[in-house]
Amino acid sequence: MKGIVCMLKIAAYHSPTTLAEAAALLAEVSRTIIAGGTDLLVNPRFMVGVGEIVDIGRLGLNFLVEEQGWLRIGAGATMRTVAQHARVQGLANGILARSAAVCGSPNIRNMATLAGNVASALPSADTPPALLALNAQVVLVGIHGERLVPLDSFFVGPARSVREREIISELRIPLASSDGLRGGFYKIGRTTEDISIVNAAATLLMKDGRITAARLALGAVAPIPLRVVRAEVALIGQPAIEETFRQVAEIVRDEVRPINDQRASAAYRRSMSGVAVTRALRQAAGLAQPGEEWRHA
Amino acid sequence: MPELDIALRVNGRAVKWRIEPGDTLLEALHAHYLRGTKLICGTGDCCGCGVILDGISINACCMLAAQADDRELLTIEGLAEDGKLHPIQEAFAEEGAAQCGFCTPGFIMRAYAFLREQPRPTEAEVRAALAGNICRCTGYVKPVAAVLRAAEMMQVEQEKGPHE
Repeated sequence: MKGIVCMLKIAAYHSPTTLAEAAALLAEVSRTIIAGGTDLLVNPRFMVGVGEIVDIGRLGLNFLVEEQGWLRIGAGATMRTVAQHARVQGLANGILARSAAVCGSPNIRNMATLAGNVASALPSADTPPALLALNAQVVLVGIHGERLVPLDSFFVGPARSVREREIISELRIPLASSDGLRGGFYKIGRTTEDISIVNAAATLLMKDGRITAARLALGAVAPIPLRVVRAEVALIGQPAIEETFRQVAEIVRDEVRPINDQRASAAYRRSMSGVAVTRALRQAAGLAQPGEEWRHA
Repeated sequence: MPELDIALRVNGRAVKWRIEPGDTLLEALHAHYLRGTKLICGTGDCCGCGVILDGISINACCMLAAQADDRELLTIEGLAEDGKLHPIQEAFAEEGAAQCGFCTPGFIMRAYAFLREQPRPTEAEVRAALAGNICRCTGYVKPVAAVLRAAEMMQVEQEKGPHE
């Protein structure tokens, strides 16, 4: 039968059961990966030049475990799994769980995978800022073996990354320095289910009221999920107070490169990037104001 | 186009379907005369094609039929038993929670999965659970009331125990 939705011209469906087999299949340029399917099957940009599909749903990658100082999130772990996982909820005020919990509708979160959100490499994605703030690493597997890429050097442009005919087998978050790590996540969208207009995530380590380490990232304000290193540097050694956040918000507004689209103007995004990052920082510092704290819908 | 065969359980029955590799689950359902599950947006945005796969509510438009091989599927056609409507269906009818009715199967399937996880929900929880289901007649108050009513009905039924 002919496809009624997007007329997918797919000549073959492959369902490998080992990672090696999957990597070998993917070496062919006309093939692409399906996991949750919620980007691939609905966004024509991901189907350009694709003739065959490799399903990675039967590779045993549904795990989410803490192991040897890493939180390992397998490629099959869905947004629902990530959002509901106790260890993820407890890490840096649960910023990753919270960003996964606002990614699309409940049905989408039941299908979409965290690794897929990274693989699609869309600038407005909900979870990459939290993953960047948590210093996540990407495990890529191809026919030439496995490599570990820090997420902050993974994204290249809209829907483009350093991934070359490779599968993201898992995401890893280092837990070694996560004791006392405080986090914040703030999303500005028409509703929480909608695509972000701006989102921001932050993590802080503090000692004696001063910030000793910081990571800041924003979504939907640049061609890639954007880590703002200049703002991170400005936070180090400073007290976690409004004046510090105000200065950092100005740096962020200066660093973002937003676009105009149907959701918001570039000027609005630039202005709101400072608001989102301030609110994320307030959460991380335990200073969230009424209405700015996280509420699970 | 080449074809492939999948075997799954649909509404309690084992079936074997011949599909094309690019068929979505929604297309395969329609091709096999299960047309209660609706195609509305086709882009995963409206949850009109909601079905239950291995106990979890999903959108049938953004999944390949081939991915459903060996799995357990429940659709709107499988809710009524022996001609008796499911309490959620009854509650939707009694509350008048359908206007044109096209989005209703998606609402009901989402409510079914939700009430299994949260049998005694608050109104706020129901609204959050249905947040992805879009009704272009914009009738959201009555579906919310229907799900709350269904939760009560199911509670009463459970207390009575399985009927003869």
